[in-house]
Amino acid sequence: MISSSGRRLVLSALVIAGIAVYIFVSKRSQPEPTASVEEEQSSGVVVTLPTEIKIEDPEVPIELVEQVEDNTEEVANRLLDFSDKLRRRDFTSARTWFTDDFAGHGLAGLPVQDKRTDRVDSKVVSFDASAAPILSADDFTEALRDLMGPWSRVESVLWKTKGAEFQALGKKRWGKIKLFISMMGAGADDEPITISGWAYARAVKIRGEWMFDRFKLTSLSEARRSATIFSDVTAAAGVARSGIRFGQPGNNSFAWNGSAGGDVDGDGRWDLFCTGPASNVLYMASESGHFGEEAKARGVARPGGGTGALFFDFENDGDQDLFVGQVGWRESNGKLGGLNLQAYLNEGNGRFETKSDDLGFDEPGVLYSLTAFDYDNDGFIDMFGCGYGRVEVEHNNSWTQATNGSPNALYHNRGGERFEEVAESAGLLGTDWTYAAAAADVDLDGDADLYLANDYGSNRLMRNNGDGTFTDVADQYGITDKGNGMGVSFGDLDNDGGLDLYVSNMSSTAGNRILGRLEEDIDSEIFKMLKKLAAGNSIFLAGEQSFEKLPKDAGGVGASWAWSAALADYDLDGRLDVFCTNGFVTGDLPHDT
Amino acid sequence: MVASTAEVVTEDRDLFQKQEVGSSAYTARHNGQMFEEGLSFSGNERDKLFMNRGDGTFADLSNVSGADSVNDGRAVIATDFDDDGDVDLFVHNIQRERHGLYRNELGQSYGGFVKVKLRATRSQYEAIGAQVTVGAEHGPVTQILSRGAGFVSCQVPELVFGLGAAPQATLEVRWPTGEVESFGTVTANERVLLVEGAGRAEPYAALPRPLPDPLPAGLRLSVGETVPVFAMLDPDENEVLVDPVALADGKPLYLNFWGSTCVSCVVELPDLQALEDAGDVKVVGLSMDAPADMHRAWELFGKRGASFPCYFIGAPKQEGRASLQEIVDLERLPIPTTLVLSPSGVIEKIIRGPVNSPH
Repeated sequence: MISSSGRRLVLSALVIAGIAVYIFVSKRSQPEPTASVEEEQSSGVVVTLPTEIKIEDPEVPIELVEQVEDNTEEVANRLLDFSDKLRRRDFTSARTWFTDDFAGHGLAGLPVQDKRTDRVDSKVVSFDASAAPILSADDFTEALRDLMGPWSRVESVLWKTKGAEFQALGKKRWGKIKLFISMMGAGADDEPITISGWAYARAVKIRGEWMFDRFKLTSLSEARRSATIFSDVTAAAGVARSGIRFGQPGNNSFAWNGSAGGDVDGDGRWDLFCTGPASNVLYMASESGHFGEEAKARGVARPGGGTGALFFDFENDGDQDLFVGQVGWRESNGKLGGLNLQAYLNEGNGRFETKSDDLGFDEPGVLYSLTAFDYDNDGFIDMFGCGYGRVEVEHNNSWTQATNGSPNALYHNRGGERFEEVAESAGLLGTDWTYAAAAADVDLDGDADLYLANDYGSNRLMRNNGDGTFTDVADQYGITDKGNGMGVSFGDLDNDGGLDLYVSNMSSTAGNRILGRLEEDIDSEIFKMLKKLAAGNSIFLAGEQSFEKLPKDAGGVGASWAWSAALADYDLDGRLDVFCTNGFVTGDLPHDT
Repeated sequence: MVASTAEVVTEDRDLFQKQEVGSSAYTARHNGQMFEEGLSFSGNERDKLFMNRGDGTFADLSNVSGADSVNDGRAVIATDFDDDGDVDLFVHNIQRERHGLYRNELGQSYGGFVKVKLRATRSQYEAIGAQVTVGAEHGPVTQILSRGAGFVSCQVPELVFGLGAAPQATLEVRWPTGEVESFGTVTANERVLLVEGAGRAEPYAALPRPLPDPLPAGLRLSVGETVPVFAMLDPDENEVLVDPVALADGKPLYLNFWGSTCVSCVVELPDLQALEDAGDVKVVGLSMDAPADMHRAWELFGKRGASFPCYFIGAPKQEGRASLQEIVDLERLPIPTTLVLSPSGVIEKIIRGPVNSPH
């Protein structure tokens, strides 16, 4: 027998427990607010749209890095295939990436949050992502059609996976995906437009295929200009050369990528020499603005396979001679194979005579970039060749400070008659994997110093001691820039009259994506390598006997896998800008590592 | 995928250790394994343009640069190829379209220029390593005459300086010997030779050589070339061979690239029909719509009163038969674009934008 007061107590307890259970349950399931819109999809399915897009974090995320990466890669590839459909403006096919009960923020018709004008009247518009309309799958793809349909062309679409977490438990396989989305093209008047933003998507695996049922936009902006800053006149000017895809027989060396500009025939116009796999190319500029390819006629077509190329006057006879680096190799019998550095001497009329055998180049090296400078101020231009590694013999023995690079070469010009290789006595031989060099009198003492960009290690500033020797003072100047150096250029980037330093490095999306995940549980050597893969370019501003690194958020360094930088004032506003080539190897498949 | 990159690296090392020293197969295998099948590694990365804002920061204007090729660039030569005062670009790629030439369109919109050539007299005459400082209101800016910097790149021996709005600027040279020499003042848009010891800038004449206008992006044929017979789909999805000579029927032929989502394309359909109806030329439409959208496009085509022949993409590839891909890169061609062919199929004119109001 329970008293009435006792019954009340039990009831109260039950009510409290009930409330607690209710709170617990509602916290766990977080049902989306009452749907306000019903829409029939092209598939016939009627979908009710939520008033808010929520993508929860997996409660029990998959922890094993390999598993996360496998899933991430599947989703990333799915999104690249989707990107390809958008690039072709095949919106009907693109629709099939979304489930019938999809709900997501549309990318068209968002209110403008901020508008600003940047350099050379380029416009950047930020949209209010929080006010994006919530759309069904049909309407979401139609919004994409509204956005990109009117464009005169679509240059590229990339929906890139920047992060992902997957639920480990439960029947349904799903994950929360962090996305960077970008759509580039040209508007109706051929004006360049790029729409980019960040978003989350929920991926669900249905019948073995990743689909998307939620899309939540976190930011969206648009960059445009009335016209592009440069026009591509490659084909019109006669310098279009198509080559076979990298990785196929006939194009499987990283060597053949050098170019040199100079006035070959003394007509006051800038001609161009480019190394090539089988034969080289010499584009002679004409008064019509067109270029004619005359490598064979002028005697510089062969041999191919060169790397860096230089024009300068070797004999001081008033014309431009040509020097081309070569990458040799070591045969299995230990002998060196391949070609010596190639010399083409200008006969004064813009035709060249091959002279390599008589000039003192007597051993094939692994030379990439070449740099011309008169290091001993004797009135004849000398030449430095950057020694990389012999990859056919051994890999870099460290990712951070490799010491098995092949030697550099310092070719001392002996009176315009021959070269003498003096790297060893000059202290420039080195054991680094050197890709590039630039010469400048950094310490302003009247002779040229040399900055070396090294792959797999620290860079060096080789101070010219004025007695034919060089000493590394990079550390003292604060410019070791440990990483994967690919290129180096000098120029005054802060308008103080001093030469600053721009160093190109390599950096990869995949490296960035997984870096955080791996730090604790992987072999530290591989981690170090990955960290290098994620580094960007560097700007070092010159001060008194030292340099200061410009913080990354100042910009100017966010290239990916960067190579040659050219510092010039492209808008003539009195400040040097940076153009930088970029990208390692693009295959046929959209998928990337 | 980095887990697998790490695996590849480890695998590479293992395999490498097993291989004999000197195996020249190694390089081929190493490159081959990664790239033979067409995989990318840090691929599809566009060349970058960072514009100096003058406040210690840089704007990434790559997307509007027009020089942001997706090809894998290596060397770059930046110079004023056409001598119009601004700096153009030449890029060397490792594959596919190997070379890119980009004409700077800014001209003097944001500033004047001074172009400088040098001749040293107390060191080798080319003055390699000389540092030139141009002083104006925005502060001094220094450039070095360098041959061989960047990566496998050799710049030309001429420096281009921007002056912004400054009508004139001072010139100073630090010669390779370390001697500093002032060259007084130059006015905007001058070309000057600085001879060591002269103390005075010597103007040199302009040598203009205008670079030609660009062809539409993605067009693989230019004026003077013949359009081959190529395979397309008709509106009933049957494969047909489009033969420009047969379709021309002895008249000039307008090959119009259009798409149903392109507003100006759809707007000009009646104009194209009027051209056809006038009887002097023949018009053929080539729809760039995705196969899934072709019926929608065909419906729109009819609704706009167009009745000239129209063909669609999506014909399967066949050995020994040309496809539209050999004429254009479908993804890059801006539309509308119209090729005007002679009755014999030779391209005589390329119209960018609508035929009646071209760009």
